[in-house]
Amino acid sequence: AAAGPERPQVVSHVQQALSYTVFDCKWVPRSARLLCLGSAARGTGIVQLYELHGGRLELLREIEKPKPIKCGTFGATSLQQRYLATGDFDGNLNIWNLEAPEIPVYSVKGHKEIINSIDGVGGLGIGEGAPEIVTGSRDGTVKVWDPRQKDTPVANMEPVQGESKRDCWTVAFGNAYNHEERVVCAGYDNGDIKLFDLKSMSLRWETNIKNGVCSVEFDRKDINMNKLVATSLEGKFHVFDMRTQHPTKGFASLSEKAQKSTIWQVRHLPQNRDVFMTSGGSGSLHLWKYEYPAQRSKKDSEGSEMGVAGSVSLLQNVTLSTQPISSLDWSPDKKGLCVCGAFDQTVRVLIVTKLNKI
Amino acid sequence: MPVWLREHSWRQTLTAVYLSLPVRGARATPANIFCGEQYLKVSIPPFLFEAILYAPIDDTNSTAKIGNGNIFFTLYKKEPAMWDSLTLANADKEKLQHLRENAVLKAHEKTKEETEAKKITKQEHKKYALEATMKVEEAERKRIEDLKEKERQKVAKELELWKNQQKDADKYKSIQKRGELHQEIEPLKERKKEKINKTRIPNEGTFKTRLKSTKGHSSCSMFSQNLKEEQLPAPRSAATIKVNFTPRVFPTALRESRVAEEEEWLHKQAEARRIINSDLSELEDLKEEEKNPDWLKDKGNKMFAMGNYLGAVNAYNLAVRLNNKLPLLYLNRAACHLKLRNLHKAIEDSSKALELLIPPVPDNENARVKAHVRRGTAFCQLELYTEGLQDYEAALKINPKNKNVEKDAEKIRHLIQGTMQSS
Repeated sequence: AAAGPERPQVVSHVQQALSYTVFDCKWVPRSARLLCLGSAARGTGIVQLYELHGGRLELLREIEKPKPIKCGTFGATSLQQRYLATGDFDGNLNIWNLEAPEIPVYSVKGHKEIINSIDGVGGLGIGEGAPEIVTGSRDGTVKVWDPRQKDTPVANMEPVQGESKRDCWTVAFGNAYNHEERVVCAGYDNGDIKLFDLKSMSLRWETNIKNGVCSVEFDRKDINMNKLVATSLEGKFHVFDMRTQHPTKGFASLSEKAQKSTIWQVRHLPQNRDVFMTSGGSGSLHLWKYEYPAQRSKKDSEGSEMGVAGSVSLLQNVTLSTQPISSLDWSPDKKGLCVCGAFDQTVRVLIVTKLNKI
Repeated sequence: MPVWLREHSWRQTLTAVYLSLPVRGARATPANIFCGEQYLKVSIPPFLFEAILYAPIDDTNSTAKIGNGNIFFTLYKKEPAMWDSLTLANADKEKLQHLRENAVLKAHEKTKEETEAKKITKQEHKKYALEATMKVEEAERKRIEDLKEKERQKVAKELELWKNQQKDADKYKSIQKRGELHQEIEPLKERKKEKINKTRIPNEGTFKTRLKSTKGHSSCSMFSQNLKEEQLPAPRSAATIKVNFTPRVFPTALRESRVAEEEEWLHKQAEARRIINSDLSELEDLKEEEKNPDWLKDKGNKMFAMGNYLGAVNAYNLAVRLNNKLPLLYLNRAACHLKLRNLHKAIEDSSKALELLIPPVPDNENARVKAHVRRGTAFCQLELYTEGLQDYEAALKINPKNKNVEKDAEKIRHLIQGTMQSS
């Protein structure tokens, strides 16, 4: 997209070369610090804490763990504690106090294989209800954990006896607007997307988007579920309108083919739930805006309510690397500030300007 | 024969000659006038005027004005001198001819030079234009870069500002925390001392609420955290949700673009398993299990492992007779033939296996690599090294990480180079 004067611009602020493969990067809430999680060449896990200082990233602390770390979240921790929950290549879920990282605050061997994705809800002063962490693993199961309960998950979504398992690639919490309601959305490598309702402990909806699902995210975790974006292989992503569920057709959706390569991540802007960024296997970032349709729901021939999908427009795109950008995180404190990690062993801090004008 | 124009009149000054030539109604154009250094010709068919001038003139600056049935020449003399007459007298034919030719040549040269000069000036103009556009574009680019840079700096400054705000907020919070801790411990201590005096509690209440109001902008503190913990719901009661997946045969992730190929492969496999071509009469005295190609394949594998290659070949032969669409039978039989040094048969079987392993999907990668390697080996043993190398390279293409195949391919390349050099 051409650089029109009013379009948001993606400005590269800092670039930091790392000596290990970075799998996830996260802002530490209420600070200008960020974490990089990954795997060193010698097969151990690395957690690095950086601080933004002038035009550079200053390494504050480096922690090494026996197993490579795949993903992490601050979603289920309080703002004071800011404990980091991580999933590693061995299937262990650990919660760390970064001030005293030698012994984890909580630890469980949750899965038999690598934990591909993790999400947390109920912490950081956002939303209500118990703090919970969900992990999705290659062993085909999705498990929800409460840090106050040791060893056993509070919910376990596992394959039926005798069914061959599919890798779960991504998980996300949603609909957590009061104490009771909560849903977990999981995406699998065979294109399945499943929505589990934790209040009724049942499968609420499922669909298949014909390509392995790389990333799912609700536009907000702590509201009545509004929109869900699912990205997949072959450069496609789908936006589902989650306000109206039709008894047979499920949720209305639109799909967009953004590029030729895999879309690794989608992240919604915390300050504007209709803006989201997707990161691609070709090292590019695309910034999108969702427009709602004139009417969000309509009646079908039998009188049941059915949702109407809106449209999505590309605000900006930029190519930063030749390798896939596998992780992306917006800062919850500063609008437009984001960090992304790519497989070229580089972490980049970017600033997206003019987001106020959207 | 042209009509000579003789009615011309002229006058001169020291530096110039003015010649007036009436053309009697004929239309004159600049093309009709030819002027050299010492030669002047006007040719408007059928009229012709020719003059060998007394002395050379500066033909570049001289002019001719056409109008009113008259051509008026202004000729500037090269050397300021008074001419005795306009034309040279006693001009004999040869001289005339000579002069004419000279004039023509000179004119040609002049035009050539003129075109050259024109070309050069044109090029220079072009260059100049190019440089000018480049400068303009450069300036534009720079302007955009500057804008971007300014934006970057502005944004970086904002970030620093925000960061410092955060730092200050953090400091403020930590001071508060310490303050609260201190203040909380005080009432607790007093409580202990006075053995839970009820009247104290409302005091504590007000004390704590006072704390709350001094909080400033951050809504979180240890105090409200404690409150919240009491309000948090208990952990969920554990439950399991059973999940069914959309069926997929391949262990790899689903990609839309590969679906067609995968379907084809699955079809083929399904068909292959269903086929039983058989000569029932011969096979009647076989046991039930011996009619099962899979069982026969396993038998064959076991015999191969034990070194009984002929037996293995027999088993595979029978299996092929029952079902000639299973690629693995041919693949394994090729391995046996290699061991038995039946190289041509090995090549045949590997080729048949490869035919059956179409379409190429990740599922039959291993099988395809093996087929290529076995056929390659057979070729090499027959000393057909180039064909062998082709197969090894095909195997590498499918699986570039296989070190053994790489090593062998290298060896073959050296062999080929060796034979080429010696021959």
